[in-house]
Amino acid sequence: MKNRTLHRCLAVLLTGGILLASNSLRAEARTWTSADGRTLQAEFAGTSGAGANATVKLKMADGSVIDYPIAKLSEQDRLFVKGNLPTDPTALAAEIDKLVMNKLKESYYGLQAELAALPQKTNLTPEEKAKRKQEIEREMQMCAPNPMTNDNQFLRRIYLDLAGRIPTYDEADAFLNDRSPDKRAKLIDKLLDSEGFVMRMYNYYSDILRIREGIVMMGNGSLKSDPYMEWVKQSIREDKPFDVMVRELLTAQGKVWESPAVGYLVTDQGMRLCNLSNTFTIFMGTEITCAQCHDHPFEEVYQMDFFKMAAFMGQTETNASGRDMMAMGGGGDYRAEIDRMNKVLLDAGRLGRNQTVDQNLGQWISTHRIQVVETAKNTIVLPHDYKYDDAEPNEPVNADTYFGDKMDLSKYETPREAFADWVVSPGNPRFTINTVNRFWKIAFGLAQIEPVYNIPGHLDGQAQNYELLAFLEEMMKDLDFSVKGFFRVLYNTQAYQREAETLTPSLTQVDQGSYHFPGPILRRMSAEQIWDSLVALTTANPESVLRKGADSYKEIMNIDFASLKTADEIEKWKKDWSNVSRLEKYNGEVVSRDDNVGGAQMFRASELRQPMPPEHFLRMFGQSDKQLIENSFTTGSSPQVMALLNGEITNRVLTSPDAYLIKEIAYGKGSKRDNIDKIFLSVLSRYPTSQEKSMAQSGMRAKTDRDMSDQQKMQAEALAIGNVIWALVNTREFMFIQ
Amino acid sequence: MKDQLHRLDQLNRRQFVARAAKTALGVSILPIGAAKPLLAAGGGKAQHCIFFYMSGGMTHMETFDPKPGAETGGQTKGIPTGVAGVQLAEYMPELAKRFKDIAVVRSMTQKTGDHRGGAYWMRTSYEPKATIIHPSMGPWAQTLLGKRHDTLPDSVVIGGGGEHPGAGFFGPALSPLPIGDPDKGVQNAKPYNGVGEDLFNKRMDLMNTFDDSFRRKFQTDEVKAYTQFYEETLKLMKSEDLETFDLAKEKGYDEKVQRYGNTRIGKGAMLAKRLVGSGVRFVEVVSGGWDMHNDLWNAIPRTGGELDKALAALIDDLKAEGLFEKTLIVLGTEFGRTPVINANGGRDHHPRVFSTLFAGGGIVGGQVYGSSDDKGIAVKENPVEAPDFNATIAHAMGIDLNKVVYAPSGRPFLVAGHTLDTKTQQIVSEGKPLLPLFS
Repeated sequence: MKNRTLHRCLAVLLTGGILLASNSLRAEARTWTSADGRTLQAEFAGTSGAGANATVKLKMADGSVIDYPIAKLSEQDRLFVKGNLPTDPTALAAEIDKLVMNKLKESYYGLQAELAALPQKTNLTPEEKAKRKQEIEREMQMCAPNPMTNDNQFLRRIYLDLAGRIPTYDEADAFLNDRSPDKRAKLIDKLLDSEGFVMRMYNYYSDILRIREGIVMMGNGSLKSDPYMEWVKQSIREDKPFDVMVRELLTAQGKVWESPAVGYLVTDQGMRLCNLSNTFTIFMGTEITCAQCHDHPFEEVYQMDFFKMAAFMGQTETNASGRDMMAMGGGGDYRAEIDRMNKVLLDAGRLGRNQTVDQNLGQWISTHRIQVVETAKNTIVLPHDYKYDDAEPNEPVNADTYFGDKMDLSKYETPREAFADWVVSPGNPRFTINTVNRFWKIAFGLAQIEPVYNIPGHLDGQAQNYELLAFLEEMMKDLDFSVKGFFRVLYNTQAYQREAETLTPSLTQVDQGSYHFPGPILRRMSAEQIWDSLVALTTANPESVLRKGADSYKEIMNIDFASLKTADEIEKWKKDWSNVSRLEKYNGEVVSRDDNVGGAQMFRASELRQPMPPEHFLRMFGQSDKQLIENSFTTGSSPQVMALLNGEITNRVLTSPDAYLIKEIAYGKGSKRDNIDKIFLSVLSRYPTSQEKSMAQSGMRAKTDRDMSDQQKMQAEALAIGNVIWALVNTREFMFIQ
Repeated sequence: MKDQLHRLDQLNRRQFVARAAKTALGVSILPIGAAKPLLAAGGGKAQHCIFFYMSGGMTHMETFDPKPGAETGGQTKGIPTGVAGVQLAEYMPELAKRFKDIAVVRSMTQKTGDHRGGAYWMRTSYEPKATIIHPSMGPWAQTLLGKRHDTLPDSVVIGGGGEHPGAGFFGPALSPLPIGDPDKGVQNAKPYNGVGEDLFNKRMDLMNTFDDSFRRKFQTDEVKAYTQFYEETLKLMKSEDLETFDLAKEKGYDEKVQRYGNTRIGKGAMLAKRLVGSGVRFVEVVSGGWDMHNDLWNAIPRTGGELDKALAALIDDLKAEGLFEKTLIVLGTEFGRTPVINANGGRDHHPRVFSTLFAGGGIVGGQVYGSSDDKGIAVKENPVEAPDFNATIAHAMGIDLNKVVYAPSGRPFLVAGHTLDTKTQQIVSEGKPLLPLFS
């Protein structure tokens, strides 16, 4: 059903395109096979269009050329042309722009017709008509594409979207003075390859995957998350295809320091039904939690479906038990080792008064038990209160899928592998849609289908811009799930590079997906974007400090515990354990208090504790507590405003003599007027107007006198500059991404 | 049809959230007094609640359920309470004197022995899940009874850690206002040290000038909401509401610190009383130090003594101010501690049986509900679980136990947990209030 719809839509889509393909593959006639088995003799004569829109040009024996939709070719022929498909981001971006423009136009004419017909409507009262008229006119305003961003607007937005922070003064200056015509595309490329992109995407992944210190949701925090965190970051860095990454998360096996991707299953230790619901939500945009307890009230998902899906994971355990599992790498019995080490510590007088065991030691070593293991038995049974006619309570269930492909378990070593393949397979109608829908939201501030965690089962009626979604879906597949490749295209579109929308889409528009992107939505920065932008104002190189620890943790956990003989050796091991998660500077030095700015650790949010404590600036502005999927928020509150007005960050940190911006200005050679330019460019990525400049000048007048020491003068100067910085950081212009 | 129903529900939810965004102190303005409290069977008298949460797992045998003479009782002695046959542990002398005002529950029981899970269950009545956060009692009260005061927040958590479920699925707008240190009050409420009124105003002028063109161009709901937050915050900074959070402004501060104790829990109790007196509905005071795996009898005189002092002073002051009858005092914890004393002279986690306490707000004092066995190992009679505990709080506050509230995902929840009534096929409250505690 689903696939037929898709093909119908593609057929509608197959209008002209840009001729892009080279002639490199042109050769003699070969046999072409369509997906439904028909064949044809023709020469390959290139392709046109891009992504889902692409057609193959087939030169017939009589010399005529026909355009045939690539989507309709057999898998084998698709592969044949794939190497020659245009993956040029500019061409793909142009296709997206075409689809966006078409939809805006179509929507405009639709609304115009509705407006014209409104007076004749007999089923509406005059008040209802007046109200509807207003709504239509408002929506029509949102059908006109916004003007293109100027360089300042683009610069700021692309840095926030790709590097997760505003540009520094030097970065802004370099871009604005670059005269090359393709400087936007070049900047996009540069930022995609930057560590800032890793950090920015990590914040997103850690929000949907709920990556936190200690990993285990209800655990005691003894397991270190560093390997898992680093694995996610490395996957982003090397642009691991998204489907591959997801498959690894679902199939990883072992301990987190050996096989970091187990972090995903370990997160929900002891709650595997919840973990399954989460997998559907995160990777398939499908909310099936309710089917855990009863048939889905609104969609065709039965409780039995849920348990059949759960059965795929029924042999997987996240807590190793039994004597075999307790054994450590070296073959020692960990219980016995802990007892021995406790005795060593006790005898050496290293334990507290009345203490005979060191509890940390036991807790830390026993994290060896937290691992993903496959067992021989599927332990998923129906709940004790199962109330439907098709089975009895507590009955075992066999693994089966309720949409997408059917899986042949005999082809897999474990049912879990079959499940992972099913999730990411091209035959899964929701995996790719979910991915592109979520990524579109990252770039544009609003998804095509909202809410992203609940894509309706029958898509066509609900997603208004179905053609665009289908295009993005194909494009993602053609790009082999390259995350960087996908974002490269989105950020190169004109649709993205237009000014942000000045109106708020109505709830109805959001719900129906009838906002068609005359430009991105105006968004408040995420908590991490705000924080990381403040980092950019206080440090010369905001990405110079990274969290390290994955490797040393592995070493520490894999030590042969029998080698820890003396109390000193045991205590050294404990100390190394405690210091595993550390921040390192680019030169390998561990950061110290001296690296703080104004008393605060001004390092990128992705490298700090996950999540930060509840009273921290990041949490106040909406950093997720990492308890639930996408638990971050961007709504305002008075505590936020109080923090910006009266808090230490705006009053002490940003104006600290150690802060990069202050240093640059106070020690810099520029005149006061240049300095004001510098401050504006640093904070808002734009130059001040003349009125702003004169206001700022009076605001920056420092109260100094001759009796002051140089240091006092410097502080007075910093405080005066601080007035302007304080005021700029408190603006809505700073807080929102236009 | 099903799809349509679903969409409608989502739309309502979004509108609800959008409406909830307007606030002072980050707490939403819901209609004040939207629902009348229920006055059934002695309940509904508590207009306020002060909830003491003993974090770490409070030992029942050294507080409200001593077992002197039993092999598991350790060195803890019992002291008389004035009620025949009822003793409290020796570390609770002040509360023993006020036992006629207190009801103790000695038959609490839990399903888990992990701190986070146990604490979550006690605060929400629900088992922790990785797919939803259930709300705690303060936000439940606000949702079901309406907001109590137009500018002050409905619920406040003093000294809480990072694992509080807060408003759960009700969203950040209903989150309890966190106060870390009772002496410091609301974070960042005053201009930064050294920033006088003139300078503050000058900076505000600069900010408004710099922001002018942006605000004119982008008149989205979110931008306007932020501008409104700035206006409200400036008002708040000048208002008397802020003084409510300023403990130093409490009448007879020095004398009171003597009585409550110059401790976190003492000052937390004092601030809670002050907040309740000004109209805040639900205050939770979190106090740690109860995870006594090691050297228990070294720690208990202090930790227990601080609790004893703070609670006693609070009862006295609420009575003196005429607030006792309309303020429910509750004391809870995630679990008790093992009767068997471990190798380090401590007690470990023991969810099978433990104690909690109720007072004021319509509770009849001088009684014990339920009991543990002679050794303090298991419930002997009348087991009470987390949902019953919260149902008792809800009953005292006049909250409808059977009112169904839907989470954004469309799942139904009740204030004290839910279960399916197989006869009527209706979702009903899982928790049952302890009616014998009420007059």
